[in-house]
Amino acid sequence: MNDTATPTPPRARRQTITLDAGEAEGFAPGDFHMITAGTRRIGVIRLQNGEFRALRDWCPHKGAAICKGIVSGTWPPSSPGELRYERENEIVACPWHGFEYDLVSGAELCQPDAPKLRFYPTAIVDGRVVVTVPATRTEQGT
Amino acid sequence: MSELIEPSAGAQASVRARLIDCDVHPVLQRGYKSLVPYIPRPWHERFVRKGANLPGTSGVPLKFTHPNGAVLREDARAPDGGLAGSDPKFLAADLCDGHGVDLALLNCLEAASVCSAKAGVEESIVLASAYNDYFINEWLPLDQRFLFAMTVPVQDPQAAVAEIKRVGGHKQIAAISLPLVNIQMGNRWYWPIYAAAQEMGLPIFLHVTGIESLLAGSPSITAGSFDSYIDRYLAMPQLAESSVRNLVFNGIFERFPDLKFIFAEFGFLWVPAIVWRMDRMWRSLRHDVPWVLKPPSEYVRERCFFTTQPVDEPENPAHLRAMTDLIGYENICFSSDYPHWDNDMPDATLRYLDAEQRQKVFADNARKVLRL
Repeated sequence: MNDTATPTPPRARRQTITLDAGEAEGFAPGDFHMITAGTRRIGVIRLQNGEFRALRDWCPHKGAAICKGIVSGTWPPSSPGELRYERENEIVACPWHGFEYDLVSGAELCQPDAPKLRFYPTAIVDGRVVVTVPATRTEQGT
Repeated sequence: MSELIEPSAGAQASVRARLIDCDVHPVLQRGYKSLVPYIPRPWHERFVRKGANLPGTSGVPLKFTHPNGAVLREDARAPDGGLAGSDPKFLAADLCDGHGVDLALLNCLEAASVCSAKAGVEESIVLASAYNDYFINEWLPLDQRFLFAMTVPVQDPQAAVAEIKRVGGHKQIAAISLPLVNIQMGNRWYWPIYAAAQEMGLPIFLHVTGIESLLAGSPSITAGSFDSYIDRYLAMPQLAESSVRNLVFNGIFERFPDLKFIFAEFGFLWVPAIVWRMDRMWRSLRHDVPWVLKPPSEYVRERCFFTTQPVDEPENPAHLRAMTDLIGYENICFSSDYPHWDNDMPDATLRYLDAEQRQKVFADNARKVLRL
């Protein structure tokens, strides 16, 4: 780096808010628990492996309330006439157009490069699921 | 029967409308029980004895069951948990308030499938009236934004005419839902119905009933049967393509000079191709159908309207725009298909249209075809 260059001011870190989604033990795999942050709806779900995901209730395809979709496994690509079923409770199918999304990665199964589900960080604090979401301008008081 | 007015009335409401949704699907709020007040007692006893509203199968899904279980959107359920499309107040709030829909054309697919081939002909006459009376009495008075495509018992054209004359004057009835049966649309079977529709100023509304290629009496979509939902679903536009051709070449547009047709949920990107082909063959073989007095494309342009849903999504969105340019912006009418799974909600549909095109597609074209 050139020592004479004007230093770039550090980018202001976006403020966040934390939301309590409830007792971790109260989450059965495959069931969304809905919480809100202002006008944002967020679905929190426990995966089969015990991990949690918090996602915006907004399908990146056309904006449907995706947390009202079907959470299940899926039937992966197979040979003609063969049928397999796997990944129980790791896939959500949008209630509108049926696009399937991977709740582990957020990617659409058919087109992994298409816009993904919006995830928010989760943590377990004192046995409760805590979700961290960016604060809106209103919430930041600016 | 409810309020009757002259067919041309109601026009003032249409002038104000900026967003007209030409394909919305209500369902009976309480299943068969909703129809009971409108069914004569002997018929009601017959339907009860036959197990109306009772589970009729073991529950094993059939091959044309939707792969996700239902065509109705789970996120559009009524507040009481009722099926999507079953609560008129919620439908008005969710669709009309929520998406700025000024007028919503309701058409009941269950009524259409019953009248097409699920019910016997005598039953279908009773049930068509019951469905129509239910929606006229229990939905239309609740919200002036509701329009209705009345269903006719197509298995008996004379009964269909009587039903049109009985309720077709209602100010919120904007079209006649003509259930598809296994008779081509230009066949003289329909001529009495077309004459009555023309007399009442009502367009013919064509939409799949859901039983095509399933029950005898419904149309066969293709040369053979299907083995999957997706295959059958994607073949549906062939019903419309076939109907457009048959209407033109049987001279329906000359025989009924004021009659218009609206094709719902068949998409629209296929229209230019069949119109070009019809025009070309007409030049060669016009004398086979001498009652077709002008190029088929002119009849289509003047009398056929196509709803937008389901809008295709090519990898390059510019290709969709180019295809839309080919059909033009005079004959396509916005439709959401609410509350079905493959809906196109207005905020997320054809967003590339400029203001003038949008005005035509989302409102003005519907005004040209519906009786408003």
